[in-house]
Amino acid sequence: MLVLLIGDFNLPHRSANISPKFRKLLVPNKMQHVLCTGNLCSRETYDYLRTLSSDVHVVKGEFDDEMLKYPDTKVVTVGQFRIGVCHGHQIIPWGDSRMLELLARQLDVDILVTGNTYECSAVEKSGRFFVDPGSATGSFSVNKTGPVTPSFALLDVQADNVVTYLYRLIDDAVKVDRIIYKKSKST
Amino acid sequence: MYDNPGNTTDQEKFLDQSIRVVKTESFEMKRCLDKGKTMDALKHALQMLNEMRTAELSPKFYYRLYMDTMHELQCLEVSLIQEYAQEPAKLGNLYECVQYASAIIPRLYLLVTIGGVFIKCGLGSRKEILKDLVEMCRGVQHPLRGLFLRNYLMQCTRSVLPDLPETEDMLLAHNNTLPKGAPALKPRDGTVEDTIDFVLINFAEMNKLWVRMQHQGPSKEKEKREKDRLELRILVGTNLVRLAQLEALTEEMYVRDVLPSILEQIVSCRDTISQEYLMECVIQVFADDFHLATLNEFLNACGQLQQEVNIKILLIALVDRLALYTNSSIEGQPAPTKMQLFEIFSEQATSLIKNRPDMPMDDIVALHVSLVSLAVKCYPDRLDYADMTFLGLRQVIEEKGITDIEAFGKVGRELTKLLNIPIDEYKNVLRLSELPEYIKVMSYFDYRGQCNIASYMVQNMLEEETILRHQEDVDAAFSLISSLLRDQEKQPDNSHETEEFADEQNLVARLLHLIRADDVDSQFLLLNSARKVLGEGGRHRLRYTLPPIIFELYRLVLQFADMKDEDEKWDAKIRKMFVCAMGTIGALVSTAELAELPMKLYLNVSSFCKQHSMKNFQGAITADRVPFEDNHTVVYEFVSKALSILEDDVVDSRDRVRCLQLTVGTLLKTTHLPEENWQPLANQAVLAAAKMFKKPDQVRSLVTVAALYWHGKTLETNGEKLRNGKKVVDILRKSAKIAKECLEPLVQQQLFIQLLSAYTYYYEDNCPEINVDHIEELISRTQDNAVQLDVSAEADSLEKQLGEAIRRLQLAKLDVAASQVSSARAEPDLPQPPSENEGL
Repeated sequence: MLVLLIGDFNLPHRSANISPKFRKLLVPNKMQHVLCTGNLCSRETYDYLRTLSSDVHVVKGEFDDEMLKYPDTKVVTVGQFRIGVCHGHQIIPWGDSRMLELLARQLDVDILVTGNTYECSAVEKSGRFFVDPGSATGSFSVNKTGPVTPSFALLDVQADNVVTYLYRLIDDAVKVDRIIYKKSKST
Repeated sequence: MYDNPGNTTDQEKFLDQSIRVVKTESFEMKRCLDKGKTMDALKHALQMLNEMRTAELSPKFYYRLYMDTMHELQCLEVSLIQEYAQEPAKLGNLYECVQYASAIIPRLYLLVTIGGVFIKCGLGSRKEILKDLVEMCRGVQHPLRGLFLRNYLMQCTRSVLPDLPETEDMLLAHNNTLPKGAPALKPRDGTVEDTIDFVLINFAEMNKLWVRMQHQGPSKEKEKREKDRLELRILVGTNLVRLAQLEALTEEMYVRDVLPSILEQIVSCRDTISQEYLMECVIQVFADDFHLATLNEFLNACGQLQQEVNIKILLIALVDRLALYTNSSIEGQPAPTKMQLFEIFSEQATSLIKNRPDMPMDDIVALHVSLVSLAVKCYPDRLDYADMTFLGLRQVIEEKGITDIEAFGKVGRELTKLLNIPIDEYKNVLRLSELPEYIKVMSYFDYRGQCNIASYMVQNMLEEETILRHQEDVDAAFSLISSLLRDQEKQPDNSHETEEFADEQNLVARLLHLIRADDVDSQFLLLNSARKVLGEGGRHRLRYTLPPIIFELYRLVLQFADMKDEDEKWDAKIRKMFVCAMGTIGALVSTAELAELPMKLYLNVSSFCKQHSMKNFQGAITADRVPFEDNHTVVYEFVSKALSILEDDVVDSRDRVRCLQLTVGTLLKTTHLPEENWQPLANQAVLAAAKMFKKPDQVRSLVTVAALYWHGKTLETNGEKLRNGKKVVDILRKSAKIAKECLEPLVQQQLFIQLLSAYTYYYEDNCPEINVDHIEELISRTQDNAVQLDVSAEADSLEKQLGEAIRRLQLAKLDVAASQVSSARAEPDLPQPPSENEGL
């Protein structure tokens, strides 16, 4: 089962578009679920995600309209895995790994997906898995020094493990990294 | 027509009867053929063909009967040809014999069949037989029966019409297929000209029959007749197809004989259905270069058609076809032909519109759609052609005094198509500014129509990444999409509340990121000038269009930050950029105040405040990153402005919590504020947290701001964290005190657990001031609470969380104890907890 993790678009505040290279990769009906870490910033971006899959979950980024009532956190169960989503600006200090672990424990999830760092990453820690899909548009951010690399992530959820693919756009070419996470028995 | 229309069941019944007769007679016919009794076979064939005289069947059912009968006639034909091979003499007088059959329909069908056999066997003069047959068919003047008879004539003679001169090879190939004993075929007479005559006569006769159908029967059945006629049109069109298939047909013959004769027939029949169908047929079946050679003749004929004929469709079909052709095969073509093409069409269209004052406006625009498409696709360098077409249309619109064309009306839809063509084809919207008439035509749209076109342009620019590099580019783009940038006269009052408005403004906002000058100075100028134009957009647009400008300014600042050594006026310039950003935010703030007045906009305002306050935070971090002389004053300015907005403008309590969160997150990202600036900001944040309206919000916000004193960095700490444990504990204690005052058990329990986690967090991080006894007390209190909670899903989940929190604390204790031991051994890698720690 494929789950798309994507967020921090900041369209139209900070970017003109999602790279055509990414749009070519993101084809409708390939992914069963879309988990969005927020900062879509316009209805159009949401509509775009809806074209990719009928099951779209969005949490609130700091630039999303309050009126849309996106929740701060959300938990989705895919196969054997509980996946939590949160944008991350609510976690003080931003990107603090122990605070992230605390949130993962509070939500009781196997995988925690957060954004706000504008850097694509995936790490396992104390039996839980933490993924940040980065910014889909590579939109400029003051949270990060240096240029932001456009990125998103894809989870291939299988019976007892999850294969994570990190897609990065470097020098206008898509680079893919693969990381495997196995569910520990205790949880 | 059929005399007794009846209903479908009746028709089925009549058809069944006829088909039964056809089956019986054809069976008998074949038996006689097998026995060699040719004359008897023909008698049965006549009996069978008698059924074709029926007047009971509608065209659809007559057609089915015809198909069955034709199949049987083919069998007859095959066996006659075979028979001739064995006894050539026997066939000789058949043609004569059949002449004596009494009824005309069966007689003619048989004559056509036998005529075909004669030609195939090389008997008699091909030319004469063909001429004879096509003339004899005049004997049937009943439209339906006549049309089918003549269609049979075309079918039967399809393969034997003279075309290219017969060569030895062709004859040889033919003779090889003949049955044994059959006389070999000799060269047959007749030329392609004879074929042309033959088909043209047949075509003219069929068209007359077809037109006559319209005028038979009661006038109340007019609609039904038209439907019947449309079902039969292909029979007439087949003639044109056959002509187009002739290999020996040259352009010269087409120009001299074929087309004039066809057009004469079409024009003179004065029948709308026939004219519309046949003209289109001509366009579709004949070759492109034939059309190019006869453009004027064809267009002239168009001018002579009935008023009701939809000329637009014909012209569009022709233009589109030729546009495709010229575009694909032009390179070799001499330029004049190409050039003429547009001019001829343009002229014809203009005179057509003049001669038909009743032509509906949407048809007129549709005609221009084809013209513009021709101009743009085939003459990409001739912008004047496209512009000329827009000019022509504008003049018509002006003459008719039309304004405010509805975006989704008939005319509006055509106009949208028209205006989209150059956008799609040029793939560079900036080129539109070279068509001065384009924008004028666009202005005849109503507000929505103009906005639709403008957003289509923006979408195209985003898709094609049309970079706005120079001031002229920005000016050109902005003037084309001006309907999106500022209030329009025709704009409805509530337009800014619509989804379209939001979508359009979001597009404009995205477009602003395509402003990319070659160097920092020019980029700053471009952004500044763009901001001025956007500033006139009014409050509803500003909230969309100013944020991207601010972000672009920040981006520019960060880009410029690394260039300190390259620019003498670096400090002054960077200051200017910040001032500009601040001014832009200021515009948002002042607009917000305007917007605060009406209650119904209240929610918008509050979200608005957050938006720009966040921009302030962003500004703070940007300034912090840039090592210019008095950057701390800029940071201070930005954060304090954000905090004062939080104080004054953000009213909703949840919004205040969130804004404070962001302030804390932002302050923790700054590293270069001097202590004297940092302290007041932190204090202010703590105050704001304590002043939250609801107690639970106070508790949570205090837990949040406590982080400032632990993780915060100032100029003086040199990149190290403050780690002011005393202050952290003070704040947490205050928070715990408030939590105890909360009355709702479930909420209180949540807060306790949150506090517990916070304590554990700092304890794990070796905060020496954390008093474990204090935590234990909190735990026991929380556990007491847990017992008193009513049974519920929430209570269960809290119970679980509490267990988890306690487990964490125990783990932390072990960790800390371990690190105490190892720190006693003074391991250098681990953080050194201050020596005066208490509570362990």
